[in-house]
Amino acid sequence: MSGERAQPPPVLECRNVVRAFGGLKALKGISLQIEAGEIFGLVGPNGSGKTTLVNAVTGFYPPQQGCVLYRGGDITGMKPHRVARLGIARTFQNLALFRGMSVLDNILMGRHIHMRPSALATLFYWWWAQRDEVAQRRHVEEIVDFLQLESVRDEPIDVVPLGLQKRVELARALAAQPRFLILDEPMAGMNQEEKEYMARFILDVREAHGTTILLIEHHMDVVSSICDRVAVLSYGELIAEGRPKAVLSDPGVIAAYLGTTERHAA
Amino acid sequence: MFYRLAGVRHTSYAADRALWPVPVDRWQIRALLALAVGAPFLLPDLYLTSYLLPWLVWSTAALGLNLLMGWAGQIHLGYAAVMAIGAYGAIHAVRLGIPFELALLGSGLLSAAIGLVFGFAALRVKGLYLAISTLAMQYLVDWIISHVPAISGGSQATLQAPAFRFLGVPVAGDWSRYYVALAVCVLVTSFLLNVGRTSFGRALAAVREKDFAAAVIGVNAFYFKLMAFWCSSFLGGVSGAVLAFCYYRAVTPEQFNLDVSIQAVAMVIVGGMGSVIGSYLGAALVLLAPIVLNNLVGAFARAAALPLHQEVLSHIPLILYGVLIVGFLLFEPLGLAKVYANIRNYFLVWPFRHARH
Repeated sequence: MSGERAQPPPVLECRNVVRAFGGLKALKGISLQIEAGEIFGLVGPNGSGKTTLVNAVTGFYPPQQGCVLYRGGDITGMKPHRVARLGIARTFQNLALFRGMSVLDNILMGRHIHMRPSALATLFYWWWAQRDEVAQRRHVEEIVDFLQLESVRDEPIDVVPLGLQKRVELARALAAQPRFLILDEPMAGMNQEEKEYMARFILDVREAHGTTILLIEHHMDVVSSICDRVAVLSYGELIAEGRPKAVLSDPGVIAAYLGTTERHAA
Repeated sequence: MFYRLAGVRHTSYAADRALWPVPVDRWQIRALLALAVGAPFLLPDLYLTSYLLPWLVWSTAALGLNLLMGWAGQIHLGYAAVMAIGAYGAIHAVRLGIPFELALLGSGLLSAAIGLVFGFAALRVKGLYLAISTLAMQYLVDWIISHVPAISGGSQATLQAPAFRFLGVPVAGDWSRYYVALAVCVLVTSFLLNVGRTSFGRALAAVREKDFAAAVIGVNAFYFKLMAFWCSSFLGGVSGAVLAFCYYRAVTPEQFNLDVSIQAVAMVIVGGMGSVIGSYLGAALVLLAPIVLNNLVGAFARAAALPLHQEVLSHIPLILYGVLIVGFLLFEPLGLAKVYANIRNYFLVWPFRHARH
């Protein structure tokens, strides 16, 4: 399943994506390609448009110009719930788990696109819904094993510590069996050990399922060690793209991060 | 002590999702069911028809509203109107000679269809605006019912419920009416219990909690809100029909005015949003509290020989009732269901002091 065979279309292609909020141009024409099986890092200072780009791809803030192609098909402006059905899953920078549900139910929720929820099936649970619930549970348990969440499986999500909540959110995204996974700062607020766990999980996901991954992250050590390619955004523009080592030592990138004005891309 | 978790082991995923994994809960349910079935033998007919029967019907109605408010998180201030549609629909259907079972189903479908039309418009707005839109439904339906003689039978008219048969058995006495209400109540309760463990219920809860997070895993929020409206209206229509046929045995527009809608909302909030047992407890409190408070205040005034005016006496229970509801909102916003859960959790770990959650 490695994507090194003869030129399939890129998993994600953004062509000149523009998105503005009022007068603020959050994305000023972003073009990039993510190939199958890649772990693609997206970095940039706060407010540089990383999350906006993800929101443009997943349909929350449809681009005003340009287009977004997923595996060669146009998904520009498609509604988020339709995008999800194409096999694109994402996590959120600030956790977006369903409070009041158990960890297990949160992950089961990730199976939504593989289930047929209906009131009638619920009414006839024992004859109709139970078999499907059990079958989906089997998938979920695999993910619970994979991400080592057994001990918190039955806890309400609100009482689970933050580091594990991030992992539950990854589990929920994985439950959908996505072919393209977008992780928006999965390591924010984590300590070194939790970060290493998460980095290992991300590598394992690709290894096990051949999932293509777009990773937004501020921890440069992680980005440079697990990403195949990195793109850098600054003020809504793509200022560098390529191998992590080369990109992260680029003077323009350092300037954008540290705020030196001399080589500021205009 | 009572709720022993020790020894409760699951060997299959189906067993893990059982409704009542703890044995004592299962015994409780069996005992309650036995009591409910045996109630006509145990209770005087007066208590059966004026307390237990309305409680069951209103619990059914509260469960329907709770699906919308508690699970899907959408407020509805026109629930009595939905029930009215069901009640009038069923009575007219049975008068036309349609069998009661079909009329019951049809009344639910009619309510659901009309509820869906309103839901389609109302769900484009959220929160307070949704409350106002559903309030509009209440007024509109009230007005249409009382101004269209073909529905209401003329101004100030009361439509008597015709004689009917349920599953081939003529439903005539208090007992048979009670059993019809019980059957519908059990069916609706089992549906709501299952909502708690299927993808349908999870999707509703996901939409309630975070609609953008629901969307990103493929949940069409608008569709599920509509489905919640549909199901809730269906259950409202059915319970309205049961209320008209089994309790009032007649239908007038005043039975389903705005006050009744507010009462239904109070049942859900006081009982506990998103809780099955809460719907029962809420319905019990809202139905019984005025009666109990009336008797209590009356007895107290007599015992203390307070020379209170009749007017004052009749208003004190209303004040206390209001205090009760405000008190719940302030001190136990999760309602009576949470009180029950606290007690249960206490006994879950007794004699130790720490509850699990």
